[in-house]
Amino acid sequence: MFSEIFTPELFASAVRLATPIALAATGAAVCERSGIVNIAMEGLMLVAAFAGVTAALLSGSTWLGVIAAVVASLVFSALHAWASVNLRADQVISGTAINILALGITGFLMQTIFKRPGTTDSVKTIGPLLDLPAGGDSLLGRIWTWIDVALLSYTPIVYLGVFLAIFLTWAMYRTRWGLRLRALGEHPRAADTVGVNVLRGRWVAILISGAMAGLAGANLTLEQVGSFTEGMTNGRGFIALAANIFGRWIPGGAYLASLLFGFADALQLKLQLFSDTINLPPQFFLMFPYVLTVIVLAGAVGKAAAPAAVGKPYKEKG
Amino acid sequence: MTAEPNSGYDRAGTGKARPPILELRSITKRFPGVLANDDVSAAVAPGEVLALLGENGAGKSTLMNVAYGLLDAESGEIVVEGSSVEIRAPRDAIRLGIGMVHQHFMLVEPLTVTENIVLGMEPTSAFGVIDRSAARAKVVELSDRYGLKVDPDARVMDLSVGRQQRVEILKALFRDARILILDEPTAVLTPLEVRELFHIVRELVAQGLAVVIITHKLDEVMEFADRIIVMRAGRVVGETTPSECDERGLARMMVGRDVVLRVEKAPPHLGDVVLEVDGLTAQDDRKLSALKGVSFTVRGGEIVGIAGVDGNGQGQLVETIMGLRRPTAGVISLKGVDITRDNPRHTIQAGVSHVPADRQRRGLVLEFDLAENLALGDQRMPPFSKWGVMDRTTMYSQARELISEYDVRTPNEKVAAANLSGGNQQKLVLARELGRDPEVLIAAQPTRGLDVGAIEFVHRRILAERDSGKGVLLVSMELEEVISLSDRILVMYEGKVVAEFDGGSVTEEELGLYMTGGGKQQADEVASPQEVRGA
Amino acid sequence: MPEPATEPRGASTVDEKQFALDQARYQRILSIATPFISVAIALLVGSLVILASGQDPLAAFSAMFSGAFGGTRQIGETLLRATPLVFTGLAVAYGFRSGLFNIGAEGQLFLGGLAAAWLGIALGGLSWVFSLPLMLLGAMAAGAAWAFIPALMKAKLGAHEVITTMMFAYIGRYLVSWIVTGPFKDEGSIPQTPELPVSSQLPRISDVFTFLEPNRAHMGFLIGVAAAVIVWWILKYTVLGFEARAVGFNPIASATGGISVASTTIKSLCISGSLAGLAGAAEVMGVHYRLFDQFSSGFGFTGIAVALLAKNNPLGVIAAAILFGAMSAGAGTMQLEAKVSPKVIGVIQGVIIFMVGAELIVSWAISRVRMTRGGAGV
Repeated sequence: MFSEIFTPELFASAVRLATPIALAATGAAVCERSGIVNIAMEGLMLVAAFAGVTAALLSGSTWLGVIAAVVASLVFSALHAWASVNLRADQVISGTAINILALGITGFLMQTIFKRPGTTDSVKTIGPLLDLPAGGDSLLGRIWTWIDVALLSYTPIVYLGVFLAIFLTWAMYRTRWGLRLRALGEHPRAADTVGVNVLRGRWVAILISGAMAGLAGANLTLEQVGSFTEGMTNGRGFIALAANIFGRWIPGGAYLASLLFGFADALQLKLQLFSDTINLPPQFFLMFPYVLTVIVLAGAVGKAAAPAAVGKPYKEKG
Repeated sequence: MTAEPNSGYDRAGTGKARPPILELRSITKRFPGVLANDDVSAAVAPGEVLALLGENGAGKSTLMNVAYGLLDAESGEIVVEGSSVEIRAPRDAIRLGIGMVHQHFMLVEPLTVTENIVLGMEPTSAFGVIDRSAARAKVVELSDRYGLKVDPDARVMDLSVGRQQRVEILKALFRDARILILDEPTAVLTPLEVRELFHIVRELVAQGLAVVIITHKLDEVMEFADRIIVMRAGRVVGETTPSECDERGLARMMVGRDVVLRVEKAPPHLGDVVLEVDGLTAQDDRKLSALKGVSFTVRGGEIVGIAGVDGNGQGQLVETIMGLRRPTAGVISLKGVDITRDNPRHTIQAGVSHVPADRQRRGLVLEFDLAENLALGDQRMPPFSKWGVMDRTTMYSQARELISEYDVRTPNEKVAAANLSGGNQQKLVLARELGRDPEVLIAAQPTRGLDVGAIEFVHRRILAERDSGKGVLLVSMELEEVISLSDRILVMYEGKVVAEFDGGSVTEEELGLYMTGGGKQQADEVASPQEVRGA
Repeated sequence: MPEPATEPRGASTVDEKQFALDQARYQRILSIATPFISVAIALLVGSLVILASGQDPLAAFSAMFSGAFGGTRQIGETLLRATPLVFTGLAVAYGFRSGLFNIGAEGQLFLGGLAAAWLGIALGGLSWVFSLPLMLLGAMAAGAAWAFIPALMKAKLGAHEVITTMMFAYIGRYLVSWIVTGPFKDEGSIPQTPELPVSSQLPRISDVFTFLEPNRAHMGFLIGVAAAVIVWWILKYTVLGFEARAVGFNPIASATGGISVASTTIKSLCISGSLAGLAGAAEVMGVHYRLFDQFSSGFGFTGIAVALLAKNNPLGVIAAAILFGAMSAGAGTMQLEAKVSPKVIGVIQGVIIFMVGAELIVSWAISRVRMTRGGAGV
């Protein structure tokens, strides 16, 4: 049974399932490093997922759908930025507002556009970036199949996610932008007194996390599911926040932590197929990622300090 | 340089008629409820040290924050090198050559010295990538040129306060500052570090910088300033030079009346030991050893002062006594009863009162009204509650009594504590902590940030407590305060009591020596708890 | 630039006492005005959304109003919908007052409903005098238990309750889903529990007070009102509430004042959970008389909007819950008569939370009013 479960397909499925969480978690890392809590990730993903499918259906172009997803998420994250940066609102409450707004607006538009609740029509999903032939039965062929399935079988946004996690980690520690970002989240007044524009820096960070959430939503609908269902993000935005903490507010760390959740999800899906040997109700499998999140969080918190100024509104004068 | 004639500077009479590099003209700045700067003018020239003297709340920092772009003035003009300028944000000030070292350092603790210094002006290669070797080289070059020995790769959080201040100065120099503003630069330094700082300042001035020092310390002003501007209640009340005045005259100008510079107190009537700390060890939040076997006693009727540079374990000592921090070893006893393991509530109820160093974060719940704040800590006890139900009538009537007894200036007891001034907030804390008639009072930094009137009030109350036979443990960074109030002084250094002195018989310099681990007191000179117990 | 004055100007400090009084008054005005302005702006945004979808907002809202308040039956429906929101609103408000964001009240609600359903059937033989209080207490205990692990993780590890209670909300939903499909399933194909015996059902208000015209509002609403009064009393008049509020405002000062922050945190989140548990009990005992998968339409989340709109005032929660109950009750009429999707309520809810959260908008509006008034005087 072991060899039936731990296949390259399981690994590939873990990466696929991790990708929306990982994109959001990477974005959350950037956002929180600037001192802004973004619990709106869930709602941003949802809005993006809906906008992506709708735009793809209306225009007939899936790639236009991806752009629409990112734009929609950016618009809503701008709302979060305006409230939490300019109006100095409680960031958690502003994020909650966007989450609820996202549920409401996607539900409302669903009925207005598709004249029904529940699920939209399907779009043709984006295929794998590379389409390589499978290997044969020889040892070399099997190794090739492994590599092909585990590393080369993914859709474009999955690769983009890996690239962005690496790129953002590098940028956070090697560039001017990254140094300023880290300063913003630790001691915004210090950054301000040396002429760093705190409000603009935080806006940019929130918009980056918004774009990441947009890609996450696009990946979910346009590369994986192919349609939109109300509330389909199902807590992924919150799991991403846990992954960010587990990843110690480092984009790459957040990505790796997300892989853990993707793996858990892939495993529970796989195990459901073995219902004759593992006799558990399906709900228990479905609970698994959430239980895992709680366990991981219990182990992760306190190990690394959050950015000192995270969640605190900043007032420029005084 | 286009030298515009300026009458303000010539009156200073330093003889060197160099034109000012920075002029503030008729600055008016209003905060809700306070006119912080009322038509204030000041100027500073290259090569001079201007002292901006005034007590807390006089508006000195406000004025300089306006000059640095951290605050917007309602009216007034800022002139740099003869031309009127707009300073809307710090980046404008930096561009004009103004640098400022704030009282609370503006350093990002987890970042390195170099990262902190270059932040906002990072040398970059292509695509915004920081050129780290160039940055480091520039920092090393600067710190060599001005004799500021700082490790460019150290993390700021690992540096001493004195070093952190040098990083702040380097930050200004890195930006080619020609005007350097230092806000209360000596507040956190030992006497030796103060000397070193002024040495650095002299060096900077010799190289042509203009330096403004904001301070309320008369002796420093007399010693180091070229020119003094005195502020009181938001206005300039005088301008002079050290050669033209004395400390008493300055003090009168600063406060507006004659001030008793030393606290008058009667000799102590010593009672029994009330608080005994024996071999106390504890860790700080980073799990590093913060207290390394601290032992001392406090007797009824005496004030024991603890002197030390901030961060040498004083905070952890107070927290451990109050039950807010678990000791790893040692015994704390109150009148012979072991209270080492007591939680904060039991410690308070056993008779230990605590005036915390940070009244806004630790002392008060700012959103609570005054009566609720006065009940805090006693809310589970009669008369405030019975069977878990609070007696609000008693709570508010008691509050009214305490408010009048401690002269808290407030319209009524139902306003939030946040709406009071700092002095009145501290009176509120004192009212609560002394109102429950403790055996021991632990007062940490009880006068920080207060004006002279409030300082006198706090000192009188602390002395009254001692004179009524209670024990007082006073923790303060202000050596003058420690020396003038204490009957006995302990010096803490790196988590240990390294010296003990009789109050009144010691100078600030002597204390300073021990505070930096320099002095050597013979072991037998330090009164051990055993000796005191035997006495 | 004004010329330097030759003479010193007037007093440089304003009267301290007057300032404190002014500040207090301003804060009071702000806290009263914010909810009303927030609702007004939210309705405006809702109108724009309706307008953008090609419908008439005025017709929509008037249909909604008549659907919510047009008669005894409608008012009863409004109170019916408001009932779980009173409880979840109280749950979230109590959490906020002690500095905790119980975003996962939905999960505790599920567990409360589960406990009520199980006890209701288990205690079937008992008189309602015993079974009803026991079911309510059981629901409170279950809700508190579901909040306990997040509370413990918050108090001992500092794990943020937003993530943990949210995760427990999902876990709770799947748990209930399993129970109604498996161990506790009624005969037949529908995944639901058997119906509660009559002795375990909350009677309708109009069945108790027979002078009222029959409607669906049940005694749960009155229990909710009583709960609101009790929560108000706890917060204002008990040591428990005093310490909860102190920790909510400033945990550091609270600890210094001898309050155990950890135990207060645990108590507060569990009390919050028990109130959310009552919401589930009210739905099971007063509306559906059984438990099934989708018995809550996000009452836990709407409770956040209710609490925020009420500025976390327990008595204000009743009013805010009625407002949201009315929207929900009137939504059907609105859809029927004005062809507007009831989902627009979600948009309005989001905007309300946004506005209350961004109080600065309101304070900005008030300061404008003050300035123009002050300007006239000068």
